[in-house]
Amino acid sequence: MATKFPSPAWLQTLSDKLNADERYAQIARNWEGDMCVVIEPSGPLTEQQFYYLDLWHGKCRKTEILKDLSGVKPKYVLTATYDNISRIMKGELDPMQAMMTRKLQVRGSMAYMMRNVPTVLDFVRCAREVTTEILS
Amino acid sequence: MQPILKVNLTTGVTSEYVIPAEWERDYLGGASLAARLLYPVLTLDLDPFSPESPLLFLNGPLSGTAGPAVGRFVVCGKSPATRLWAESNCGGFWGPELRFCGYDGLWITGKAERPVYIWLSDGKLEIRDAAAVWGKDTYESQSIIKSEIGVPGAHVLTIGPAGENGVLFAGLLCDHGRAAGRTGLGAVAGSKNFKAIAVKGTKKIPLAQAELFAPLRSTANCALKEDNLSHVFHDLGTASVADYADYLGALPKKYFHSGTFEGVGKVSGSTMAETILAGTTTCHACVIACGRVVRLEDGAKRKGPEYETIVNFGPNLLNDDLAAITRLGELCDRYGMDTISAGGTIGLAFHLFEKGVITKKDTAGLVLHWGDVKAVEQLIHLTARHEGIGNYLAQGSKRFGQHFEAEEEAVQVNGLEVAYHDPRGFSGMALVYATSPRGACHNQSEYFVVDMGQADSSLGLKFYDRHAGAEKAANVAHHQDWQTVFNALVMCIFANVPVETVAALINTACGLDWGVEDLFCAGERAWNLKRAINNRLGLTRANDKLPKALLEPYHDGGSAGYVPPFTEMLDAYYMAREWDPETGKPTSKKLAELGLEWVAQDLWK
Repeated sequence: MATKFPSPAWLQTLSDKLNADERYAQIARNWEGDMCVVIEPSGPLTEQQFYYLDLWHGKCRKTEILKDLSGVKPKYVLTATYDNISRIMKGELDPMQAMMTRKLQVRGSMAYMMRNVPTVLDFVRCAREVTTEILS
Repeated sequence: MQPILKVNLTTGVTSEYVIPAEWERDYLGGASLAARLLYPVLTLDLDPFSPESPLLFLNGPLSGTAGPAVGRFVVCGKSPATRLWAESNCGGFWGPELRFCGYDGLWITGKAERPVYIWLSDGKLEIRDAAAVWGKDTYESQSIIKSEIGVPGAHVLTIGPAGENGVLFAGLLCDHGRAAGRTGLGAVAGSKNFKAIAVKGTKKIPLAQAELFAPLRSTANCALKEDNLSHVFHDLGTASVADYADYLGALPKKYFHSGTFEGVGKVSGSTMAETILAGTTTCHACVIACGRVVRLEDGAKRKGPEYETIVNFGPNLLNDDLAAITRLGELCDRYGMDTISAGGTIGLAFHLFEKGVITKKDTAGLVLHWGDVKAVEQLIHLTARHEGIGNYLAQGSKRFGQHFEAEEEAVQVNGLEVAYHDPRGFSGMALVYATSPRGACHNQSEYFVVDMGQADSSLGLKFYDRHAGAEKAANVAHHQDWQTVFNALVMCIFANVPVETVAALINTACGLDWGVEDLFCAGERAWNLKRAINNRLGLTRANDKLPKALLEPYHDGGSAGYVPPFTEMLDAYYMAREWDPETGKPTSKKLAELGLEWVAQDLWK
């Protein structure tokens, strides 16, 4: 099934992938924390979007498309323009490169993040693998 | 810029040196300008410990302006350890304070008859008796001199007993534990009976377009404060990278001979933040505040170790006790010794002891077992005091290895110990260490962050795999040029500031109209000038090499089985640099392109 990024179907497919992927389950086995991906409008995207994922011990417990960040306090908030985040999804922009060159803002516990960089990178791998189409 | 104050310690004569305007433009300041100023002085037969040997303390055009992370200064000269170009930069508040005195630099020559320190207050200079502080450690010395001066807000840069005793990796410290550690210029100061410089000024920093600079500075600082990397450095310090570097097999263990060490997680920046961290410190006007303050079991607050010190006295020696690492780092700071070189040389001693090359006979009964913190502490004392085996440790790992007929075991390049970013984890570091103008240095290009992902396309950098080979050589050279600009400004390498912002700050501070290309040209010019200085000091292509250990694969860890294809990488690097492969010198054509015809005439005569 084609899963266009960003869309509710894409978020559900990602959740299914995270819950089925053995490699992710192994690498993220100690990860405890939810996150919200904030996609800033750019290119074809005209409105801010908020994709929430509750990640726990190598599984995805819950996903939700939020209206905003009020009412949630995710462990991490990742913010990027649509153009940059779609480049990450297409494999054109490395996630570490995006974080280190001002293209993806990360907010949350840096101590936890720096201990768990491999988990973050494998999460992105899963997201890339379920992305078959990009909003254009 | 402002003049440089020249001081001859033999005669006590001082004079003001006005920097030619075209040199300010072509070299900006800091280490680049120092290379231009010292070019005629740094000759092959110059003894670094002679009275003629210079110590040049220099700021950059942004130092003290409260711009983004520009509170640093450099000290340059001829290294007693490498006998090549010496350069070491340092944070804190001392550099800006020197500028507030109305001088952009201090150029020290000569040798005092007895130990002295300099007290510079605005335009007034005194050479004072240092008998009360000679022999005291760097922390005590700063405190005693400040108290003797009695002027609030004075900042003191000082050597410790290691500098007084000629330890070849002695440095200078200011603002408690901020260190100009590398290349042994603390020992050069010691050879001049020159203990310290105290500064306090009230003058305004000159800016060509102050009204334009101010809003730029403010915007740049706000953006820098919000940057991901600033958050990481603020929260976790420079050791923030330890966990990930370990995962990638880029964090050296057991003197670069083991790919894994179970205790790494106990000593990372994250662990420090969650256990003993009690606060942060900054350099002048810095919004990052990467400095650590920790509280150990005795309840006292003290400087927390940086990444290099943590790896150096931690996994490098198979020690996972963060408190012990903190204390060993403090011991080196108090003696005034570079922790990278101290730990590197001690690591070699442990390595040779394990191999049976040195024995208890050489160590006066001391057993060097990996992880034995007490033995490490004992070796630090012996080194600083030049006692027993410390006589050889004090000369650095290259000479220590030579003494025990095992020079090839020393993990150093041209006499400077390798920093803790393993080229087997990040291949770009192979070229960085081999071609750095001051020996195996990570601050002439911290290319490991580019290999990790900080490949900023706005800088013209491409992102290659961390284990890519010759294809990344030109990228490494390009990054070295960029970092050379940082070392000219003098801007902290942790400041992730967009290149357009850096250009705008320089333009408004200096009255220039530079674009990004001009910045890179200035960086490349200074990189080649430093190379030419080293060529004059005897450096050839044969010096561009890596130690044996870094060309042997790890058996385990995140980089197991890999060694950088060094020969191919170096060939490609020479092509990118347009250096002559026979002699290792920059070609006349390249030098002319950079406006260095006068160097070409000298180098190729």
